[in-house]
Amino acid sequence: MHEQIFSKVSALVVDDHVHTRKLLRAVLRAIGLRKIEEAGDGAEALISLRAGNFDLVFTDVRMPMVDGLEFIRAIRNDPGSPNPFVPIIVVSGLSSRTVIAECRNAGANEFVAKPFTSDVLIKRIVAAIDNPRPFIRSKQFFGPDRRRRKVEGISDERRTS
Amino acid sequence: MSATKYQVITPPNTLKAKIGDPRKLMDASTVANAEKALAAMANDFQSWIEDDVTRLDAAWSVAADVFVAQPETLDAVFGAAHDLKGLGTTYSYPLVTRLAGSLCKLIESEGVRAVPPKSLLAAHIDAIKAVVRGHIKQDTHPGGKALAEELEAQVAAQPQP
Repeated sequence: MHEQIFSKVSALVVDDHVHTRKLLRAVLRAIGLRKIEEAGDGAEALISLRAGNFDLVFTDVRMPMVDGLEFIRAIRNDPGSPNPFVPIIVVSGLSSRTVIAECRNAGANEFVAKPFTSDVLIKRIVAAIDNPRPFIRSKQFFGPDRRRRKVEGISDERRTS
Repeated sequence: MSATKYQVITPPNTLKAKIGDPRKLMDASTVANAEKALAAMANDFQSWIEDDVTRLDAAWSVAADVFVAQPETLDAVFGAAHDLKGLGTTYSYPLVTRLAGSLCKLIESEGVRAVPPKSLLAAHIDAIKAVVRGHIKQDTHPGGKALAEELEAQVAAQPQP
């Protein structure tokens, strides 16, 4: 069973919308993850991240208190960050090129547009693990190399039914 | 020659070391299992979308009479519309994704907020409430499609903020 591959992988799901968290949790459980924790905004997520060791982070962009971009920047740049290299997959309904570029500039690895399909979510997880981009550290930026791939159109990857 | 202004770091791929080849997840049965997990939640989708519509309506009742003077009151309307846009299709309501997408565009385009006509905001919210109340799910439904096209045309005719 392929699901066993992921049985030891842990994930933090960050979204202020409880039903989105339930949907993401359902997909992640179906592909084998067993340790899945949830947070309702970036501030809560940072507390969870410091308390636990997560292999993958899924986050929305638009959230109260600490939004997704601030959360990603904190993971990548805060001196006390428990894992600055953790793969971060953004799952958001804000999917303009501007927002995708902001996510990459903050340090996200991958982007999934809502409405999402399991297929696309799984592809992005596999891409983040199988083919990770090297990290770049400069005065202005720390995160996965933004130059390896162009920002791709994503409209055809949304769930349509 | 100028000195290198950035550092390239290849962090150890601990996740790949833990799980092996993640591409095994990309087979049809894993995706089917994940979609099945989402489908198993379908009985909850009607009540979930009704919750989200209630939240949209509540936000609009706060903003309706004051948003011109206090545009920040549209934040909650935009947030609820954004959630409906992102999840409508997952909830089996592609028509709601389309209507809520039009509402989001009316309020904000590429991160720039507008102060739209009250009547057009109200028309979107009434449309979303009506289609959910009437269980009109597909954007191919003749009445639903005509409604969406009319609202989208009116949004397109609005001056750019």
